[in-house]
Amino acid sequence: MQRYIFRRLLQMIPIALGISVLMFALLTLAPGDPVDLLIASDPRVKPQDVARLKRLYGLDQPLHVRYVKWLGRTLQGDLGFSRTYKEPVTHLLRDRIGNSLWLTVTAFCLAVIVAVPVGIYSALRQYSLLDYVATTFTFFGVSIPVFWFGIMMIYLFAVWHPWTAIPALSWLVLPPGGISTPGVPGGLPFYLDRLRYMILPSIVLALLSMATYTRYTRSSMLEVIRQDYVRTARAKGLAERVVINKHALRNALIPLVTIIALSISGLFAGAPITETVFAWPGVGRLLVDSVIGGDFVAAQAVLMFLAVLVLIFNLVADVGYALLDPRIRYD
Amino acid sequence: MARNAVSLAPPAPAAGLPAGEGYWQIAWRRLRRHRLAMGGLAVIVVLIASAVFAPWIAPYGFEQIDLLNRFAPPFRAGHLLGTDDLGHDVLTRLLFAGRVSLLVGFAAAFSAVALGTLVGIIAGFYGGLVDNVLMRFTDIVLTLPVFGVLLLLGRYFGGGLIAIIIIIGLFGWTVTSRLVRGEILKLKHLDYSDAARALGASETRIIFRHLLPNAMAPIIVAATLDVGGAILTEAALSYFGVGIQPPTPSWGNMLQNAQSYMWTSPWLAFWPGAMIFLTVLCFNFFGDGLRDALDPRLKQ
Repeated sequence: MQRYIFRRLLQMIPIALGISVLMFALLTLAPGDPVDLLIASDPRVKPQDVARLKRLYGLDQPLHVRYVKWLGRTLQGDLGFSRTYKEPVTHLLRDRIGNSLWLTVTAFCLAVIVAVPVGIYSALRQYSLLDYVATTFTFFGVSIPVFWFGIMMIYLFAVWHPWTAIPALSWLVLPPGGISTPGVPGGLPFYLDRLRYMILPSIVLALLSMATYTRYTRSSMLEVIRQDYVRTARAKGLAERVVINKHALRNALIPLVTIIALSISGLFAGAPITETVFAWPGVGRLLVDSVIGGDFVAAQAVLMFLAVLVLIFNLVADVGYALLDPRIRYD
Repeated sequence: MARNAVSLAPPAPAAGLPAGEGYWQIAWRRLRRHRLAMGGLAVIVVLIASAVFAPWIAPYGFEQIDLLNRFAPPFRAGHLLGTDDLGHDVLTRLLFAGRVSLLVGFAAAFSAVALGTLVGIIAGFYGGLVDNVLMRFTDIVLTLPVFGVLLLLGRYFGGGLIAIIIIIGLFGWTVTSRLVRGEILKLKHLDYSDAARALGASETRIIFRHLLPNAMAPIIVAATLDVGGAILTEAALSYFGVGIQPPTPSWGNMLQNAQSYMWTSPWLAFWPGAMIFLTVLCFNFFGDGLRDALDPRLKQ
């Protein structure tokens, strides 16, 4: 197993290098280099000053030299300096990863808690009413534009909330965006307040994963319950519950673990839309804001961070698969 | 779609069937029984027709402004779906925006699938080092946080129709390339392609005459689902202001514009999003039905 992990790590090196080249390309493709952007707002800057600045920052050097220098800095954890935030990008990331985790972890748990039971039930009662409802729901989940869904939820729960006419439901008004109410004391009130802010964005963020996981659970389960060993287990006279839980489910969940591990990073990367719609100060919002604001150093650094996350979770998925499924040979 | 594809089909599969029905006829017969897929197809046809004939069926001119009735709610002042901040008729704008969104969807999906098919064929057919290099490259692109990269590239080069199509197409080919590579690997050692090679057929002939037509089913399914995906991507990019730029309307940038008037005129945000949702949903229904209908393992 250790050798397998080691080999997978070795295989990651060329991919990581390839990604770094593409990422560097993204940086150099930007219209204007950081010095151009720095002086764009100041017409008094003289050409010789521009040349001096470019020399100072090494922008006059050939691309391959710049790439090697950039890679060296990146590997040492220096992701550059944000032009618009006037801060090192690593500080920006550090401040926002926590906020993103709140949302991503909640959405992830929500997706798994709903999707796995629904998918299993859907497979066990194929063509039942619930199966039809669940299958249709998965189509809705993968087809709905996230930003539109978010806006509609905000309108429904923060602006319109027609149910507040009923006194018993008058509390059900949710904040349209943001992360917490100013002035709320720490401890329990803080968490209750945070919960109110998280309901809408976590549902919106979870929907796509929920739909995807439901599909995978259902099809994986359908495949497994047709296998001979499940028929054998039934033929042995085992209780249906035992057949499902011990024989079918455990095998059906193996591919699901891979899908889930692969999509955690996707959840992180998919958060830009949700975080922007709900004004949630996370990593995704940082990405969107820096792209729109023309802060390409910060944008590229966030992308690099997301790509590394994907790489790590891909490894986790592979190793998890090899651990769970003894049929996979990993030597 | 299946009817048009008949000409692509190799005559071979039909030979063994008593009814003289080809693979594509069987698929079409199966597809017709798939209610969701046919419903999806019907809506797609209507949407395409309404986009093509937009100038003739739109109740108002594309740039016509009804200054006295800005922000009119639906069903008032002669505007079925209301008017926007400038007094544009929303229904008219939706019809014209549909042209852009559908065009981007089809063109981007087509370029993505064409590129993916090309990479998949080369990797699968030639194998060895070429295969290795191409597949590692596919891995690299798959690892990229694609949406963020598209956002950044949209900011760099966006605005134009062609730029958006190229950007979306350039990053959407990976899944198809793996799929096609797998199919080619499976097909290239079957007896008929060995036979073709033994008869002295050229590589191009083997690929385009014998391998590609038989790998067509999953490619068509991928293309159909990709159209929906590309429409969603374009809408998201335009929503963030780095996709199609106003005054060219697309469903995404209509939504972005509408967001400023959410509190007072919520219907402005409702319609464009609902159109995106409906369109993508129909492509997914249709693609799913197509997958079932084209699956050669399901004999009927």
